[in-house]
Amino acid sequence: MADDNKDKKATSEQKVGVYVCHCGGNISDHVAVEEVCKNAEKIPGVVKVQNDVFMCSDPGQELIMEDIKNGTVDRVVVASCAPDLHSSTFRNAIQRAGGNPYIYEHANIREQVSWVHHGDQATNKATRLVAAAAAKARELQPLEPFKVDAKRHVTVIGGGIAGLKSALDLARKGLDVALIDKSPFLGGWTAKWDRAFPTDDPVSELVTALAGEVLNSEKITVYTCSRITAFEGFIGNFKLTLTQAPPESDAYEDEIKRLSDSGKGFGEFVPLAGICPAGIPETTTTHDIETGAIVLATGFLPYAPRYGEYRYGESKEVITLPELIRIMAENRQKGVGDTLEINDRKIRSVAMIHCVGSRQIPGIHEPDAKGNLNEYCSRTCCSATLHAASMIRNNHPKTRVFDFYRDIRTYGRGQEELYEEASDSKVVFFRFEADAPPEVTRNTGSGDFPLNIKVKDTLTFDEELEMPVDLVVLAVGMEPGNISDLVEMMKLPVGVDGFLQEVHPKLRPVEIAQSGVLLAGTCQAPFDMGETCSAASGAAAKASAILGKGYVELDPFVAEVDLNKCLGTGTCVNACIVEGALSLVEMDVDGEKVKRAQVNPALCTGCGACVAVCPENAINVKGWTLKQYEDMVDMIVSDRILPSQTA
Amino acid sequence: MALQENQAKILILATEDCAYPGANAVGQAHMSYPENTYVLRVRAPVMFPEHFYLDCFKKGIYGIIIMSCGVECPYEGAYQALAARVDKVYAMMREEGLDPRRLRLTGVCTVCTKAFVKEVNQMNQLISELGPPGAESKKAA
Repeated sequence: MADDNKDKKATSEQKVGVYVCHCGGNISDHVAVEEVCKNAEKIPGVVKVQNDVFMCSDPGQELIMEDIKNGTVDRVVVASCAPDLHSSTFRNAIQRAGGNPYIYEHANIREQVSWVHHGDQATNKATRLVAAAAAKARELQPLEPFKVDAKRHVTVIGGGIAGLKSALDLARKGLDVALIDKSPFLGGWTAKWDRAFPTDDPVSELVTALAGEVLNSEKITVYTCSRITAFEGFIGNFKLTLTQAPPESDAYEDEIKRLSDSGKGFGEFVPLAGICPAGIPETTTTHDIETGAIVLATGFLPYAPRYGEYRYGESKEVITLPELIRIMAENRQKGVGDTLEINDRKIRSVAMIHCVGSRQIPGIHEPDAKGNLNEYCSRTCCSATLHAASMIRNNHPKTRVFDFYRDIRTYGRGQEELYEEASDSKVVFFRFEADAPPEVTRNTGSGDFPLNIKVKDTLTFDEELEMPVDLVVLAVGMEPGNISDLVEMMKLPVGVDGFLQEVHPKLRPVEIAQSGVLLAGTCQAPFDMGETCSAASGAAAKASAILGKGYVELDPFVAEVDLNKCLGTGTCVNACIVEGALSLVEMDVDGEKVKRAQVNPALCTGCGACVAVCPENAINVKGWTLKQYEDMVDMIVSDRILPSQTA
Repeated sequence: MALQENQAKILILATEDCAYPGANAVGQAHMSYPENTYVLRVRAPVMFPEHFYLDCFKKGIYGIIIMSCGVECPYEGAYQALAARVDKVYAMMREEGLDPRRLRLTGVCTVCTKAFVKEVNQMNQLISELGPPGAESKKAA
């Protein structure tokens, strides 16, 4: 009991430091930071108030660290952006200064004040949020994160270029890896391409190099024809069930036919299919995998044009860019002539249309069956189209290429050159507005061209131009892969564009809200192969950093019983929603054998279902107690901090 | 009458996995909404006992919106327990002469910006009709 009183006394004497960020002008343009600071000095428990242009900068962090080091403050409130962006920045700063990282509380005055409110009311609201945070901070206790043993094993889902690169990087770091693909092949969409821009590498070499090393690595187990069918656990200790089964009747028919026609063996690259490591299973089997982290390399799907979109499906002379690439790759095996040929038909002129299925605009473009529009730029199709256009011009000089674009976005290193090269090789460009796309019709006029294409060309000041063509190629963009089963099972965050959503594009670029699950490549957004491999290496580096120590540290926000208050009623045990997380155990209190609640911190999820039902409030979630919330509400309604005339 | 910052306050209990990032997404989109709203980040609103809500009204909070993850709740079973508790709170509010609409349980996801603003505006409309907590029982009398 004496200790308990001592704790309470300490609580009432906490020295709270308040640090208010200007965030450049993001906060201070709408919130009078000096006034918030002046008001904050009146908040009970606050002993020091400072502000900085950027609290997250080194000098900003130094302000906090100095105050911790010299004992001026022992609780910290930073009023700045949303807490998921910089909580760890400030917690780490406190720790570096010798403090406990959990004595920190955040007041969100950017996303929830300065970006949504303006004027005096914004300043007043910011003050109240700071007061509430300070009230919570006074009740914070130093906590220690849990250490949980972590499996030095990573599961990579997806055997495309991202999955292969991630798996290899992880294996080289000494981690065991399970690499899973739903198809019988490794190589993904990369293997179904021909040559990769901007370096013009044959994809066969890229896939063979990566998959070859993967298949030779003792650290990597490859499971093809496999899907995740059960998922549970947490960072460091996930449990997955894999189901390996023969592909459904017509799935991967083309690739399997290419494999058998090629005469190639397992482990060898088959053009336009990939590498089949070990044949196709005849029966269904399941495998249980214990793994420490999961890398999602589930990839994308090329946009499938609607029936009739630029006559796609209606005219066999309208094809997509991936279809053109496949045809050109097959032609090369047969030898090339001075004119591109498709099914023995000479292509004298080809029209290539950009932005098909990308940069769609509400009111102009037709949504898909689910009502979605792809409003994003797919980023890779301009370069891929121009690369293909130059390949046509270089290999088949008698085939003319007309390029119809909205904007040319050859944005990466070595890619602007693709545009110049296409121009130099006499590709003719036309530019259209989104609401006036080129019209593709059947050619009923003179000549034996099957199609006609008409455009209002803004490069010639809206002149209407019309030309007959033998082929129309649609530069289709990227769409999110169909991974709804994984999204549902693993509760993955999906952005408005349908791709998986990282926590923050700069601060936590390959992480999602779920700890231990990482993103690699085009499951996250349209990336080209180079960017995909960078993301894959990033995810692998992150996974190795997480598991390298052999344990992970988990936030200590679990329930805690106050034995001075617990009467052993057991209501909390009945309310607990996790089997085994809370139980009544017999213990000795003041010489008497009594039953008291006991938390199993490894199982407790910290939801607080127990908190609500305890008649004595003898159980609380560490760092998030009921009293803290009550104190925060008191500060929100208090008229002590703000003069009443502001009402 | 425009409700001012220091008067008719709305408390928003927003789950850290869904509604709190949702409220941040409203900020990232620079959508405007009334400033009498105070968002408290919670792990799961199931932690609040019945008396917490009633105490908030006694302290002068005009309206409370529980923005949960709904059926997407990461704590299996917590949402059902919360919904049952909120029903109990409604009954207690009626007994105390409080219009139960002052407490609202809703689901707001990480990108539900429009839903967030709509909930805030609806609660503001309601409390501007009802006045301070308890005023409704006086009106009825």
